[in-house]
Amino acid sequence: MTITRRLALGAAAGTLALPNVVRAQAETFRIGALNPITGAGSPYGTGMQRMIQAAVEAINSAGGVNGRRIEVFAEDTQTSPQAAVLAAKKLIEVNRVRAILGTWSSGVSLAVIPLTNEADILLMHTSGAPALSTPPANAKNFGYRYQATNDRFGRAFAEIAVREGFRRPATMAFNNASGIGNTDGFRRAWAAKGNQNGEHVVYEPNQPSYRAELLRVLSTRPDVIVMGSFLPDTTIILREWFQTGTPVKWIIPAWAANPQLVQALGPAVTNGIIAVDSVSNEGAEAFTAYDAAYRRAMNQPGASNVYAAMTWDMANTLALAIEQSKSFETGVINAAIRQVANPPGEAVSSFAAGKAAIAAGRKINYEGASSVLDFDEFGDVTPDFGVFFIENGQFNRRYVVKI
Amino acid sequence: MEAYLVAIAIIGAIYVLLTLGLTLQYGLTGLVNFGHVGFFAIGAYASAIVSMQGVPLVASFAFAALLAALAAWPIGLVALRLRDDYFAVVTLGFGETVRLAITSEKWLTNGVQGIPGIPRTFAGLGVGLPGALATLAAITLVCVAAALALRRITRSPFGRVIEAIRDNEEALKALGKDPARFKIQVLALGAALAGIAGAFYAHYITYLSPDQFIPLVTFYVWMAMIMGGVGRVSGAVVGALLLMLFLEGTRFLRDIAPDAISGVAMASLRLGAVGLALILFTLFRPQGLVGDYTRR
Amino acid sequence: MFGALLVAGIVHGLIIGLAALAVTLVFGIARFPNAAAGDTMTAGAYAGLLAHQASGSLALAGGAAVAASGAVSLLGYLLVFRPLARRPVASLLVAAIGVAFVIRAVLGLIFGHQQQVFQVPLAWPIEFMGLRIPPMDITLATVAACALAAAFGVLHLTSIGRQMRAVADDPDLARVSGIRPLRVMIALWLLAGAAAGIAGLMLGVKTVVSPEMGWEGLLTAFAAAILGGIGSPAGAVLAGLLLGIAQEVSTPYVGFTYKIALAFVVMLAVLLVRPRGLFGRMEGVR
Repeated sequence: MTITRRLALGAAAGTLALPNVVRAQAETFRIGALNPITGAGSPYGTGMQRMIQAAVEAINSAGGVNGRRIEVFAEDTQTSPQAAVLAAKKLIEVNRVRAILGTWSSGVSLAVIPLTNEADILLMHTSGAPALSTPPANAKNFGYRYQATNDRFGRAFAEIAVREGFRRPATMAFNNASGIGNTDGFRRAWAAKGNQNGEHVVYEPNQPSYRAELLRVLSTRPDVIVMGSFLPDTTIILREWFQTGTPVKWIIPAWAANPQLVQALGPAVTNGIIAVDSVSNEGAEAFTAYDAAYRRAMNQPGASNVYAAMTWDMANTLALAIEQSKSFETGVINAAIRQVANPPGEAVSSFAAGKAAIAAGRKINYEGASSVLDFDEFGDVTPDFGVFFIENGQFNRRYVVKI
Repeated sequence: MEAYLVAIAIIGAIYVLLTLGLTLQYGLTGLVNFGHVGFFAIGAYASAIVSMQGVPLVASFAFAALLAALAAWPIGLVALRLRDDYFAVVTLGFGETVRLAITSEKWLTNGVQGIPGIPRTFAGLGVGLPGALATLAAITLVCVAAALALRRITRSPFGRVIEAIRDNEEALKALGKDPARFKIQVLALGAALAGIAGAFYAHYITYLSPDQFIPLVTFYVWMAMIMGGVGRVSGAVVGALLLMLFLEGTRFLRDIAPDAISGVAMASLRLGAVGLALILFTLFRPQGLVGDYTRR
Repeated sequence: MFGALLVAGIVHGLIIGLAALAVTLVFGIARFPNAAAGDTMTAGAYAGLLAHQASGSLALAGGAAVAASGAVSLLGYLLVFRPLARRPVASLLVAAIGVAFVIRAVLGLIFGHQQQVFQVPLAWPIEFMGLRIPPMDITLATVAACALAAAFGVLHLTSIGRQMRAVADDPDLARVSGIRPLRVMIALWLLAGAAAGIAGLMLGVKTVVSPEMGWEGLLTAFAAAILGGIGSPAGAVLAGLLLGIAQEVSTPYVGFTYKIALAFVVMLAVLLVRPRGLFGRMEGVR
């Protein structure tokens, strides 16, 4: 019994001693990579963290920011607000980071942003909740959102529905903030165009059957069903729909309607589905560099993880803003972020190119891997949306929607 | 560094409160409560919602405790008529139903969008170290008070009755005591502790959503109680601290060997470790680390 | 629409019924609610998935699911539940939760958390008396019927099955009549595991396979076992069917979120009003 206690105390002392070693190192600019390594975000988290590290590696080999190297401290949010608060406290207090990058779910970002505000540091995240744009959460305007809000996705869905000539859309949403955000955004935009909204069903995760939900929607005879959904539930719903033999079209966000969905259901079921994604800037040079880095780190194509492209851009915009501001003060850096990310200016796609242009005294506009990366007054990105039609198992991009 | 330790201590103290509640219910009285997270959630949401209507925190904490205790009342009535195993299943269902109700009743709880911007305890001292220290002091005070109260209870006539309920309910009935009243009181008291823990949680994390109240939280508390020692007040404290060491320790494991364990594997390993702890302690050390099994 | 929901409810109910059968057998004979039953299902689903990927045959997948879940179930008994047999029921319950977590952790480590699916051909529905029935539902219902027939065959037609029912009825009487408990318990855990395996396979074919899938359905299985009367295999299956149909058919009225809570409400009502369930204990088996 006493042995166990002593062991426990020893282990505690050991863990506490660690950060002191870290502290003794040379002067660097410290940032925290706070990602969903475990929990619901785990399919993306590791890639997100690796891409912060990879981007920082490139930044450091280009000479660092204002002559300092960037140092990354990595933590896991466990996709849980409670664990994320402890992790953020550790990053801020123990590692003394000057910015936190890459929180993923809205719950985590909402719990962490009071801490970053209090510590006077930036928070760059990929969450969808509207509350993150405005006070109290974004009281100091230190929060930046690299992912299009769910509301914007919904508005894009409405544009597409109009363009495709649909008249009777119904909506189905997974019961979480993101799912409902998508369909609410759609319904608002659809009504604003003077149209009538159809049946709306919110369903629970992890159900053995969605037939009651599906039949309720199908019984209103919609011509298209707009989804706010994720991969597993979309798989089950589409499978059950196909077996009802009722013809209908689908508009689905691309994180659910992806190659895995086609692989799970086959080309016959998925034929004609419209998948919508914020345009991850595939043609751009930044995407090529990111894609190469992602393949090196994760052995998968970069397009398979849109959030990793966002964290790659986070590190680059932050570094460029530091370079632009010639300062390590959060307030000054913050003022420089829109300067380096938004037009007008010389389009640059890497930190090295941007650094050279800034040194030459030119105004730059960073074009990212995840989008062209322009921020509005709330710190939200305003990307365009690609409209993909699934045909014979292939994703064919027909057009791009701007909102 | 200090603020990080204080943060761990606050979360740890929240688990101490939860574990004390369960110790009263299971450790002392033998009520197998698998729905502890439900009372925790009720306390968290109750205090968050009324405090955001401008009610002072002292009152909102009291309201949290009261509402959680009231929720335990019908559960207690059910408990009177059920054997341990049935009661366990019913409370498991209760915890899940609370979570579903929070998810569904958007008008009250904002559903899955959650409640952001819940006022902090000691907000006047700011978000920094002074405020956190004051919070820690307050929750420690509550823990000490709860622990002392439990100690007192175990040595009181009330304590002897509830331990008799655990050990031999029939004999107690034969002595003319009515176990029903005691069971309900014990459940309500334990639930009130969980409710206060929930209120501290809500005002510390400042953001609530239904997915924070999954059954795993209940089993974290069970793990703490079983590791520390069933039926011992000191066991509850030791167990909750061990739990925090386990939850936060895995964080530093990644600092030491970042590539040894992939992130996805870590989630499974953490779950597996909880499972193994539950099995091994039940099999080989049912009295826990500081428990006293001879009395059982 | 009612007819279509009824069909969906029957298939859903058969899955619940099989899971409830696994729960009620253990509950009736080993005398505790086995919280690891859900994760035993998951193990069966993964084993079935592997066999299906290798062979493309649903029958072989069924065999693999039965074998794997049976093995997991028996291992749980020999390593954990047997040494705890004389402990209070709460100890068994806590240990069962532990076993459930360990199974899920192992499956998560081996297979990861990405969803996996059975690549089964999907077809348009068959029209039958104005009802549109998906062919998949017919296949699944057939699988369940065969599994149930086999389970009841074992219970009622074999000597070990009669011994199991005797132990369920009165363990002390069974002991003095010379029934060897270890043999009966091994058979029991194998049978319960097999039923869970088939339930997991069906759930996997119908939905997607992930480490969490079995745990999510556990509460419903408990509810069905209690509704049917603990220790009554036929009761568990009938109650499963009832709950499955009730969940599907009631959703237009109670909404899509509370349909999960329906199982809990039913369970509570049964326990308070008629604790021995709809069908009571098995009787008259000597």
